[in-house]
Amino acid sequence: MKKDLEKVRNIGISAHIDSGKTTLTERVLFYTQKIHAIHEVRGKDGVGATMDSMELEKERGITIQSAATYCTWKDHDINIIDTPGHVDFTIEVERALRVLDGAVLILCSVGGVQSQSITVNRQMTRYKVPRVVFINKCDRTGANPKRVTAQVREKLGLNAVPLQLPIGLESDLKGVVDLVTMKAVYFEGDNGETIREDVIPAELQADADTARETLLDAVSMFSDELMEAVLEGNPTEEMIKDAVRKGTLALEFVPVLIGSAYKNKGVQKLLDAVNDYLPAPSEIENTAFDLNKNEEEVILSSDPKQPLVCLAFKLEDGRYGQLTYIRTYQGTMAKGDTIVNSRTGKKAKVGRLVRMHSNEMEEIESAGPGDIVALFGIDCASGDTFTTPEVNMSMSSMHVPAPVISLSITPVDNKAQGNMSKALNRFTKEDPTFRTFVDHETSETIISGMGELHLEVYIERMKREYNAEVNVGAPQVAYRETITGRADFNYTHKKQTGGSGQFARVAGYLEPFEDGEYEFVDKIVGGVIPREFISSCDKGFAGSLEKGALAGFPVTGVRCVINDGAAHSVDSSDIAFQLAARGGFKDGYLKANPVLLEPIMKVAVEGPSEFQGSVMGSINQRRGMIIGTFEEGEYTVVEAEVPLAEMFGYSTVLRSLTQGKAEFTMEFATYRQVPRNVAEGVIAAAKKAAQEKK
Amino acid sequence: MLKTDLIAKNPMGAFNRDAKGNDVARMGLVVARPGLGKTAILVQIALDSILRGKQVVHVSVGESIEKTKAWYDDIVSDISASAKHEDMGEVQMDVRKNRMIMTFNASSFSRPKLEERLNDLIYQDIFRPCCMIIDGLDFAKVDRQMLTDMRELQKEANMSIWFSAVTDRESQGEAGVIPAPCDAYGDLFDTVIMLQPESGDESKIFLNVLQDASGCVAPGKSLRLDPTSMVVWGATF
Repeated sequence: MKKDLEKVRNIGISAHIDSGKTTLTERVLFYTQKIHAIHEVRGKDGVGATMDSMELEKERGITIQSAATYCTWKDHDINIIDTPGHVDFTIEVERALRVLDGAVLILCSVGGVQSQSITVNRQMTRYKVPRVVFINKCDRTGANPKRVTAQVREKLGLNAVPLQLPIGLESDLKGVVDLVTMKAVYFEGDNGETIREDVIPAELQADADTARETLLDAVSMFSDELMEAVLEGNPTEEMIKDAVRKGTLALEFVPVLIGSAYKNKGVQKLLDAVNDYLPAPSEIENTAFDLNKNEEEVILSSDPKQPLVCLAFKLEDGRYGQLTYIRTYQGTMAKGDTIVNSRTGKKAKVGRLVRMHSNEMEEIESAGPGDIVALFGIDCASGDTFTTPEVNMSMSSMHVPAPVISLSITPVDNKAQGNMSKALNRFTKEDPTFRTFVDHETSETIISGMGELHLEVYIERMKREYNAEVNVGAPQVAYRETITGRADFNYTHKKQTGGSGQFARVAGYLEPFEDGEYEFVDKIVGGVIPREFISSCDKGFAGSLEKGALAGFPVTGVRCVINDGAAHSVDSSDIAFQLAARGGFKDGYLKANPVLLEPIMKVAVEGPSEFQGSVMGSINQRRGMIIGTFEEGEYTVVEAEVPLAEMFGYSTVLRSLTQGKAEFTMEFATYRQVPRNVAEGVIAAAKKAAQEKK
Repeated sequence: MLKTDLIAKNPMGAFNRDAKGNDVARMGLVVARPGLGKTAILVQIALDSILRGKQVVHVSVGESIEKTKAWYDDIVSDISASAKHEDMGEVQMDVRKNRMIMTFNASSFSRPKLEERLNDLIYQDIFRPCCMIIDGLDFAKVDRQMLTDMRELQKEANMSIWFSAVTDRESQGEAGVIPAPCDAYGDLFDTVIMLQPESGDESKIFLNVLQDASGCVAPGKSLRLDPTSMVVWGATF
């Protein structure tokens, strides 16, 4: 295994749907000799692209899960993490962004900067990911890389400057002019695998000279050496590359490359650019939280001799059991090492260690900082951190957002039943935002997650990968209940039915608790409730939170304080105190002004400015609160907070309002009180549903 | 403490209302060199209207929605803490309901663009502002025509418009005189206030009223800003 960290690249490939991301990845794997034939995404050969390993992805032609794949190009090791583009899979996108050090942003030379690219770009900016832009599909009618570059500057606010000029466009696309070497580059052979360099065609010379001047102007900012050389008229290739690299790593410059993956043009030059301009793992600062020091931030060093810190960013159920994708940040992991899962504290032994190439794998002995590898037989969840036993660090905060939408699923037959539970077991491990439980009253299985599409994809996967056909109920909003006032309770649980009876009295008060879901406070003095029964009271209160008395939704934000009570030497028991606590809670709850809470989503609608008025009208009708509006080139973005309950079917409404020109993204923001008039309806509906269940 | 007390404790109310408590629409300007707290003062002026249930459009030129929102969040939590106001949630709800942020790129701000975006709100009755804050406009680059346009808009819509302007770092300003680059536009504004550190002691910053044609506050009056939060809560003119 190569140990030269400077020659490792962990990159992501991100783009708007249908910009040709998977096609490009396929070509990359072909040129790096990882695969020996090219399969198109929607190809006639029925094999599908190598990276889209899941059936569903093949059918829909979209990439849902990020598969990691490894290849080498000109003695550099490149790990490619294929990232999903849709926002409903946010946790996967964000996890993938943490794992990669640089990215290729693909844009369509016809479609230009589309709204999804804006979102992806924003996420990359947030995670400080240096990027290279590749303007793809230059062979298509209407291709205009110049316009797209201008859009990148304007709409994405990036200092994007072309490093290449196209030779011919649309069906005439022949190759590119490299503005760094000032040579024409042609891609020849059946699959464009032979590169031929030549002099720049005479008719392009003047354009190339101007474009090179623009490039030198832009990058000489980052290198004094280059600046001097430019003034003296003798800049070298190395100086320019060095300056481009500096600017890119500082996130102040974005090199633009062009080509057509489908027509096999420009991909090798893009790979060169990945090697030349994107960072090595050692050039990126990564941080972890030290769990021994109250989650204090620690900067990790890419030293293979330091204690190991690595992140499990994806799980996959393979033919040989669970496969865990891991990125190492610090230290070395070798076969036979003992590692600790910092979330569970469980120790594990490193067994088989492999490097993945989509569905094939290569056995390796050890993995150093910056490596992306897969482990067999490790029991963990996605997002878990593994370290050597002597340190206790976590790569990510333990906070996972609560699901906001749920639906019931019922298997169609017995066989589906078994498969369904297998599938659910798997999915909950892979994705912490996807949860499942069985409703005790209806015996229905409920799944919950972060959005409509999020759940739809899992239902599809259940069908395809696990052969579990299910009937799906209507989506339900995850309402909660909380209290807004303080109320006392005093409850005696007494039962005498022959034999030993039950006796317990619990008194105290309930009050709002703003910092979390639930807190139990024991203010008992003089032992009126014996020590051993205090935890029984806690259990009783905690149990009451599952279902609020207002409308049967889970209760959150309550502090339960006990300050008095009574016990009987014979008749008091654990269960008696639990029941007394439940009684006390019920007693106090309705007096403490309970209210209904609903999930509020942060919604951003982006579309041409002329539709701004109707967009705002539609948000207003949905009980939305408009926070503000901002411009992004010719687009106006409206940011608003809208209750999730009002957002079902919004994509259809928006499409018809704006002739399909606007798009929206939505993420969970917070829980907020439901207005009284709306709450009445929700409570009545919940009560009616409960009646029907009986 | 009740919300009415919060309103009463905001001296910026004097720039919105006359002695009888009636709203007086005006064109106002806050000038200072960078970093003295212009935005904080504008937010305080906006809060006076917001807490009284009136709607405010906050136009940020060259700033993001997130940053602008953060200004309000910080100032609301500051004043709520210092005033020991118990129901912060109520104040935050007022702010969410009654404030709308619009951001513009520095190059694209103009009256027609602003009006287009405002009209979308007003015609559908989504939002009816009584006050507009325009923060971040570069006065070294504005022309008289654009400010005259805004003055017209202010009169037509009968709402208050408050601007902020950065003065040159060197410009100390003589007492009572509007400093460059705003000196040429004094006649377009009813009220002009200036933030100035005390000479010799940079930590003491004062809000000085340079002119006020509405007659609500006498020119020459002055208040000291809280040095940490940059607000002037609890003081009176």
